[in-house]
Amino acid sequence: MNNIPLLKINNLTVTYPLNSEGSDVLKALDNISLNVNSGQIIGIVGESGAGKSTIGKAILGLLDPPAKIVSGEITLTDTAMIGLSESQYESFRGNQIGYIYQNPMTALNPVLKIGEQVIEAILANTAMTGKEAYNYAIQLLERADVSFAKDRLQKYPHQLSGGLCQRIVFAIAIAAKPKLIIADEPTTALDVTVQSSVLQTLIKLSQEEDIAIILITHDIGVVSETCDYVYVLRNGKHIEQGETVQVLEKPTQEYTRSLMASVPLIEKRLHRFALPNEDKMEGMTSHLGYLEEERKENLYLNKTILKVTNISKIFYTSSTLFKRKEAFKAVKNVSFSVNRGETVGIVGESGSGKSTIGRMILGLEDITEGSIIYNGRDLKSITSPEDRLAHCLSIQCIFQDPYSSLNPRMTAGENITYGLKVHKLIDSKNAKSLAQDLMTLVGLQRHDADKLPHAFSGGERQRIGIARALGYRPDFIFCDEPTSALDVSVQANLLNLLKDLQEQFSLTLLFVSHDLAVIRQMCDQVIVMKDGEALENGSNDSIFEHPKHLYTKSLLKAMPKFKGIAKQVGFNDSK
Amino acid sequence: MINFILKRLWHSGILAITMSLIVFFGMYVVGDPVEMLSDDEFTEQDKIDLAIELGLDKPLYEQYFTFTGDMLQGDFGTSFVYNRPVLDLIIERLPATLEISLLAMVIGLSIGIPLGIFSGIKNNSRASKIISFFTTVGYSTPNFWQAIILIMVFAVFLQWLPASGRGLTNSMFGVEWSLLSIDGLRHMALPAVNLAIYKICMQQRLAKSGTQEILYQEYMTYARAKGISRYRIIRRHLLRNILIPIVTITGLEVGGLIAFSTVTESIFSWPGIGKLLLDSIHMIDRPVVVAYLILITLMFVFINFVVDVMYAILDPRIRHQK
Repeated sequence: MNNIPLLKINNLTVTYPLNSEGSDVLKALDNISLNVNSGQIIGIVGESGAGKSTIGKAILGLLDPPAKIVSGEITLTDTAMIGLSESQYESFRGNQIGYIYQNPMTALNPVLKIGEQVIEAILANTAMTGKEAYNYAIQLLERADVSFAKDRLQKYPHQLSGGLCQRIVFAIAIAAKPKLIIADEPTTALDVTVQSSVLQTLIKLSQEEDIAIILITHDIGVVSETCDYVYVLRNGKHIEQGETVQVLEKPTQEYTRSLMASVPLIEKRLHRFALPNEDKMEGMTSHLGYLEEERKENLYLNKTILKVTNISKIFYTSSTLFKRKEAFKAVKNVSFSVNRGETVGIVGESGSGKSTIGRMILGLEDITEGSIIYNGRDLKSITSPEDRLAHCLSIQCIFQDPYSSLNPRMTAGENITYGLKVHKLIDSKNAKSLAQDLMTLVGLQRHDADKLPHAFSGGERQRIGIARALGYRPDFIFCDEPTSALDVSVQANLLNLLKDLQEQFSLTLLFVSHDLAVIRQMCDQVIVMKDGEALENGSNDSIFEHPKHLYTKSLLKAMPKFKGIAKQVGFNDSK
Repeated sequence: MINFILKRLWHSGILAITMSLIVFFGMYVVGDPVEMLSDDEFTEQDKIDLAIELGLDKPLYEQYFTFTGDMLQGDFGTSFVYNRPVLDLIIERLPATLEISLLAMVIGLSIGIPLGIFSGIKNNSRASKIISFFTTVGYSTPNFWQAIILIMVFAVFLQWLPASGRGLTNSMFGVEWSLLSIDGLRHMALPAVNLAIYKICMQQRLAKSGTQEILYQEYMTYARAKGISRYRIIRRHLLRNILIPIVTITGLEVGGLIAFSTVTESIFSWPGIGKLLLDSIHMIDRPVVVAYLILITLMFVFINFVVDVMYAILDPRIRHQK
């Protein structure tokens, strides 16, 4: 690796106007400086809103109004890159700097063939034409580890998997042998199983061509495995920079330290996340009368709260102009049981059928075959409205997307108590104070109950979702990827909250996630699923330390390894 | 696929029957054809003879079954007024309407879509606001008023273009077309523009809203990041995507133009089927009206089918739907 300076960013400030006059602005980037040498891999780390993507777009002149570069310089070798015309930028884009988007499924145009999208980049950025460009496209795809390269050119993006599409995007990025590639969360949208191999392809390609990479990511594991040098950003401000090992293991700044502590580890299971600045929940027990009454009585009646035996689920697609009706088996013959007070995790890629199982347990989907026995009662025998209500009260759900699971026209408080009021479990007078109690219970302010959902951040909304579920005094909560839409530090806080609540109310949790590390930290028992089948089922330690099934092993192997900051143990001991 | 076509045929059959029922009995309520066809000199006996000749003496349901029975055998009946087969009348008039409709649609698409894309991309520019102002006006003023203004300006004051008739026609495939001569084209200009104004405005609005939606998709930014030229991005990445909603509306609009250009055809005395329909309603020429409307119904069904196929061609996601 040579150390010729390639890209230099000096004191870059980018603003977005917050009002129409532009007097009040949001600084998406505040005085950021950054250097990239040729062949180097630079990581930019931060949570959402840190301004990571803004840097990438600023370099390529892709920032659209109202975003404005207020001050600073961007220099690529010797060329100033700010204030160029669109056609001047065109000669840099693709040619000198390649760009990789977070989600290949939205970055590739859905109505154009892969071939056209690869070849147009070749035609635009190299001197090749016609047959030569076509052959080069095949060659590029092969180099990006795309199998059946020639056939793939005839396909449309939706016919290929996310991983393949991202490899195709890589092929496009290296087409003109640029000096620099900006990779904006290149693996975030992909399934865990393919993330590491896709990332390796990118690293391999860049080394072959001696291309420098700016890797923008929130995933500390990815950074620790790939980057030479790291910049940590928060709210557009520079926090810390340095050699990767230095920053990740011995961070000097408080923020970096808490960020590192939030990363769920896969090596060992902690009781809670050791967050330095976590707010303690205090003075709340006074509000819990409602939640604790009644629930004591039938506790410990039977040890097994849920028994799932050989369940299957078949979905039918509706027939369309070009396709007949088809059967699709989402869940195949899955059995497991859950003990009271336990947390059981289901882990698997998208489409593995993990959410479908939860929906069947909740009674939202019919069971095609097999039986689910909850609290000693077969779900199929629940037909009367009373039984159904009792089942709903006992089992609640926390949804994946906190943005769509709350009614935007109701206040947070109304969202929490609406169902209770419908079932006449509480009158309107008490509803408000209960909502406020629940809000404090999940770590929000009492008076926030009157705000509408859009006034809350993603993590806060998810807390409201938890409060809503708790309002029914459930015994069992189905958590469907509750933190996958959240930032890592928010995720850590929320997982801690779930653990605390579980202890307090002896809840049973069924926890669905694609994130192995989260499952590792949360669950007592783990079920590994793929294509609707349960491949392996066992205790947390046995699955993570002695996996038996090949797929589980490959999953664990694919996880980016991050060992945590050096002082991790210290934090833990102090608890 | 075959399933789908059969389903469409079944639907169109039901539609055609419903349409024929409504129109047939509706026309009966409007007035008595015998009264319309007879003049002052007709005696009562003449009128009865005429009614017998036209088959109007029989009970209405019997008339309906005779009419539909004949139609199923390809005989659309005979016009009361012209005393000629209805199908001949329609086919004779159809080319005039077809050529004027298609010309109007071509003008509408080729001006409306580029204007729409332009104003979608330059959303906040003055030019875009001016365009949107004019299309709103064009969309909301009545068609006949626009026609009168066109005639006043181009035919009366400037005297550039003729205001009525079909002009010189030339024969192709045994049919007379105005499209093939300069004089014919000059005669087509005003009615075609009159029909096109609406289409331009509609296409501009469709293309504009489509553009603004597609413009902020990630693949548009990514295409720029790949170093693709602006022109190509608009032509391939943008246009292909905004065409999907445009095709739906355009399909219906083509049908509407062919079937219901009545007002424009009357004002410019364009001898198309729109004018035939209007005259036939006036004269209570029931066979013409019923046959015409049934044919139009079938045409709409066919256009919708074409639109569905176009959809699949434009959007591969529909083609490969699982």
